[in-house]
Amino acid sequence: MLGDIILETQNLSRDFGALRALGHVDLQVPRGRVHSVIGPNGAGKTTFFNVVTGMYAPTAGRVIFKGEDITGVPPEAINWKGIAKTFQITQIFRELTVLENVQIACQSRLPETGKLRSLWAAPDVRDRAADLLKFFRLDGRLDEHAGNLSHGEQRFLDICLALATEPELLLLDEPTAGMTPSETREAVDLIMQVARRRGLTLLLIEHDMSVVMGISDRVTVLHQGLKIAEGTPDEVRADPKVVEAYLGGEL
Amino acid sequence: MMATLRAWPFWACAAGLALLPLISGPFYTYLWVTCLIFGILAMGLDILMGYTGQVSFGHAAFFGLGAYSTAVMIQFYKIQSLWVSLLVMAVVVGAYALIVSYFATTRRGIYFALLTLIFAEVVHRIFFYTYAFGASDGIQGLDPVTILPGVPVDTPTKIYYVVLAALLVCYLAASVLVRSHFGRVLAAIRENEDRARFLGYNVRRYKMVACVVSALIAGVAGALYPARAGFATPDLLMWTLSGEAIVMVMLGGAGTLVGPILGGAFFTILVEKVSSVWDYYFIAVGLVLAAVVLFMPKGLFGLVARWTRRREAPGAAGIRVPAGAAAEVRRDPAARAGRRT
Repeated sequence: MLGDIILETQNLSRDFGALRALGHVDLQVPRGRVHSVIGPNGAGKTTFFNVVTGMYAPTAGRVIFKGEDITGVPPEAINWKGIAKTFQITQIFRELTVLENVQIACQSRLPETGKLRSLWAAPDVRDRAADLLKFFRLDGRLDEHAGNLSHGEQRFLDICLALATEPELLLLDEPTAGMTPSETREAVDLIMQVARRRGLTLLLIEHDMSVVMGISDRVTVLHQGLKIAEGTPDEVRADPKVVEAYLGGEL
Repeated sequence: MMATLRAWPFWACAAGLALLPLISGPFYTYLWVTCLIFGILAMGLDILMGYTGQVSFGHAAFFGLGAYSTAVMIQFYKIQSLWVSLLVMAVVVGAYALIVSYFATTRRGIYFALLTLIFAEVVHRIFFYTYAFGASDGIQGLDPVTILPGVPVDTPTKIYYVVLAALLVCYLAASVLVRSHFGRVLAAIRENEDRARFLGYNVRRYKMVACVVSALIAGVAGALYPARAGFATPDLLMWTLSGEAIVMVMLGGAGTLVGPILGGAFFTILVEKVSSVWDYYFIAVGLVLAAVVLFMPKGLFGLVARWTRRREAPGAAGIRVPAGAAAEVRRDPAARAGRRT
């Protein structure tokens, strides 16, 4: 029934000292779908992303991508397998221009990468970078320093960087955080367009419920590191455990 | 390189430098040689410090090992060929740089700097106490190097042109490197290491290669030093020289290649001139450095660029000066993000 599962986590746990940031999370993401992870602050969402992308090794459990166990694989190797991510706090190359930012990301997939000749060759990826930026309406700002972009534009640039590595699975950590409502609509619209065109699978952390409910095929709810609910947006919304977690039932 | 070769300032500078010994006596020609040698050292460090954002506090070790390579070849093996010295230097410095960078790149920022310092001090101590290498006296009274069999480089002018040729070759190689595929990744690492990792770049490997290239250029400067001075001493391996190299880069403007060459020359002339009239010359050097950092954040090169109204190409794999180690510590998004969840 689930068909082609692109990402699966089994019993995924991560402790920080005595704190269990993530406990026994099982998750299955079908290819080509939009899967959201929600939960109150401190629920373990970003930790979950960091463990999936190799930033942290899990304390227990496994991460399986396209049938291959990628648990404990470092971030750069995970990226090569086809997973890219954007960050909760925008991560761009601030002192470089917008175009240079995306060129650096684009050239990552060229055959030169890691080869001796990359020490002198300067491959031209300008067009590819410019195309991607144009799609995200940044084509007027190619020569601007990335650090000078508005907050919303920087978020878009972060997404461009991730997309430039041609992932199959894109992890978005609160992509619309800090955006105005109109920017949020635009962002969601653009992201969904790219995802559909490329057959991309999206795994999304999001606080904006209108975004989550609007685009998600499935939603997983984390609370204090544990998965407390999963289902379609409607199912999750109606789940009393979810309501309690959000309105504060503990203590 | 083609871009560099087409640019008129490059040819103007090369021509100007080529004419310099014709209008200088031997004393000043020797001084210019020293300027160029430290210019090469600082430019080498710039690849790591200015372009990759990793401050090394151990570049004296690369420089000193280069100097000892030449000295040992001449003194113990009676091989005066500069080419052989450079080859030996490449093997010795390359191997040592690989070892240092393997360990140092496990840490970031100030800890990277400390690890490079510790390794360099170990090398310094080894040479300081090894009698085979003359211990604290070093290797003195060396014969001149040769560039062809039977062609000794034995006058200030000849030494000058050999060193100038080395500088130009190193500069061209470095300017190709920083604009290459690889050079762009170095700029990315300087700006945001974690982002670079998530774009699929093995950041540690890039840093190691940057460190080795940077070390080899410093090693070239070191290998030329005995050709000028006729000796190699443990002082050349000492942390003070590492610190001076950092000062040269900052004086000239990190992340510009040309700037550190200017910085190396300026520093050498400043020390020479002030120390001949004042024993506490380092007070003057310190004041100048403080003034540069406060009023010329882009160093001498920034000043020159402003005078000639040449707008630097934004970024082009890192023209702008990074905040270096401080920036490293400031951004640790993984840790920050992790704590929030």
